[in-house]
Amino acid sequence: MRAADRTGAAVLLALAVAYTATAAGRYTYWTVTGPGSGFFPFWLGLVLAALSILLLASAVRRPDPGPAWLPTGHGAARFVVVVVVTALFIALLPLLGMALGTAVFLGVLLRMLEGHSWRTTAAVAVGAAVANWAVFVLWLRVPFPVGMLGF
Amino acid sequence: MDLFTNLALGFSVAFTPFNLLMAFIGVILGTLIGALPGIGPVSGVALLLPITFGMHPTSGIIMLAALYAGSMYGGTITSVLINTPGESASVVTCIDGYQMALQGRAGPALGMAAIGSFIAGTVGVVFLMGMSPLLARWALSFGPPETFALMLLGLTTVTGLTGDNAVKGYISMVLGLMMSMVGFDIISGDQRYTGGITEMLDGFDFLPVAIGLFGMGEVLAGAESAGRAQILSARYGLRDVLPTAADWMRARWAIVRGSVLGFVIGVLPGAGPTIASFLAYTVEKKLSARPEEFGHGAIEGVAAPESANNAASAGAMVPMLTLGIPGSATTAVMLGGLMMWGIRPGPLLFEKNPDFVWGLIASLYIANVMLVILNIAFIPAFVRALRIPYSILMPLIIVFCITGAYSLNNKVWDVGQMLVFGVVGYAMKKLDYSPAALTLALVLGPLAERSLRQALIISDAGVLILFQRPIAAVLTTLALVAVAVPAARAVRGAMTARNAAAVS
Repeated sequence: MRAADRTGAAVLLALAVAYTATAAGRYTYWTVTGPGSGFFPFWLGLVLAALSILLLASAVRRPDPGPAWLPTGHGAARFVVVVVVTALFIALLPLLGMALGTAVFLGVLLRMLEGHSWRTTAAVAVGAAVANWAVFVLWLRVPFPVGMLGF
Repeated sequence: MDLFTNLALGFSVAFTPFNLLMAFIGVILGTLIGALPGIGPVSGVALLLPITFGMHPTSGIIMLAALYAGSMYGGTITSVLINTPGESASVVTCIDGYQMALQGRAGPALGMAAIGSFIAGTVGVVFLMGMSPLLARWALSFGPPETFALMLLGLTTVTGLTGDNAVKGYISMVLGLMMSMVGFDIISGDQRYTGGITEMLDGFDFLPVAIGLFGMGEVLAGAESAGRAQILSARYGLRDVLPTAADWMRARWAIVRGSVLGFVIGVLPGAGPTIASFLAYTVEKKLSARPEEFGHGAIEGVAAPESANNAASAGAMVPMLTLGIPGSATTAVMLGGLMMWGIRPGPLLFEKNPDFVWGLIASLYIANVMLVILNIAFIPAFVRALRIPYSILMPLIIVFCITGAYSLNNKVWDVGQMLVFGVVGYAMKKLDYSPAALTLALVLGPLAERSLRQALIISDAGVLILFQRPIAAVLTTLALVAVAVPAARAVRGAMTARNAAAVS
């Protein structure tokens, strides 16, 4: 946690400087009538800079490294799998369409990650995809992405 | 007189079949969301917001408010039977609730919690009804300086009270404000911080951010561990659930105190049901003639916090509706919803949309009646829902996050944004930052900036205008106190830590 706070504070400080610099350089701080578009962002960046210096100072001075915050081993693997599979699903949405995509996505997670039986997997995946489609497309009229197969 | 006409209008809105149905769906989903660990009222409201877009705003807010109330009831079930809070406002209920369950008194614990919740929820709505119009009338006189001071107060108190680390809380808040600057500035016409990306011209959409930070973030935190909780079994016949006369005698004042305390805490901007439940428990323990029984299955230890969190969820609606400042993380998300429906919360709401406000208030009465019946007669049904393994629930919640984020603008871009903020929310939670403060700042940011700019235009003394008018001066001072108190505590903490380090 201490290392994460140091890195976090440094990143935030850089962001704050860039934010204020952009406000000062590209937007108007003050117009004839009053504060311009750069006024509020300029100060926000400065406040964030002050806060991240505070955080950095406290993290540097803290004697103990504190508990680890990132999961390790099995937990980390599960986290990565869920994020990657979800990202793939989103990227493939235009190709697969929402209905088929949902079923495949659920199938992959339930069977490969959680190790459910094929029967449970199929029932939940198909059931949820149909229910999802019924609520959003039939009832709420949201135009879901349609895949290559036409649904 | 006026009150009764308004209330009659409210009930005529609430008793339409569609709105009754929405309240019913809200209480059932709310109880489930409250009961299931890993998903709480904030994510529940964020996930259901997209469904409400096709509806009339009144029906939408009725469903969301019923869900919020329901989650306060449902959280108890998990606390008592699994010793894991279903949502954060029921953390403290675990202490005595689980002990009661171990002693075979799970039934009375759940029954007393439901009855206490009903009384407190109803008292909360009565106070909400009495107080809101007065507060709204008072707030009508607010000009830009008062509005900005109010925003400042809302932001600083929320930030000061959420999370353990004040500095990280304020960092989260400032990040939220910085995000709210992105996009088209209406006053100057400048495009700010868009990075040349067309999709960013409208700024960060509130919904994908909220669904990501709360819904997806919670799922990712839960995804790390696979596992299943042990559920204590108990009997839930009506006779097993209704508390005995002795229980009732012990708990009645706890319920009354919990209701009043909970409502007051709920109204304060920033302090929501979670803090109310902790305070109510502490107060009860201090006042009790038998403090040694707390922690070993004292029924007051269940009744007080469960009453307080319900009263607080009603109280949190007061500043949201009358001032446009949410009193809790959940109402912060609701406020975002209100703005998306095109309803501007604040003092004018009571004049411009009486059917909305009074329909909501009447529905809350109805929702509480539905909830007390559900939570006394149908406990076994909710216990069965708890047996759904998280390994099935988790992928389903992700699907819901994705469809919810998509249905806002029908753009895959929003879904990607949702996932990014899911990872951000996960990291924020792990590192003690405050997603609630960020969300609130994102919602309030544009109004805060506009009111500050307007205040500075009419001011002849710069920022000092915030101290020149009496109401603005009081609000600004309170906001500064809200910053100063945790700051002083942090400095003192750092000094003791350094002294301790020097000694060792």
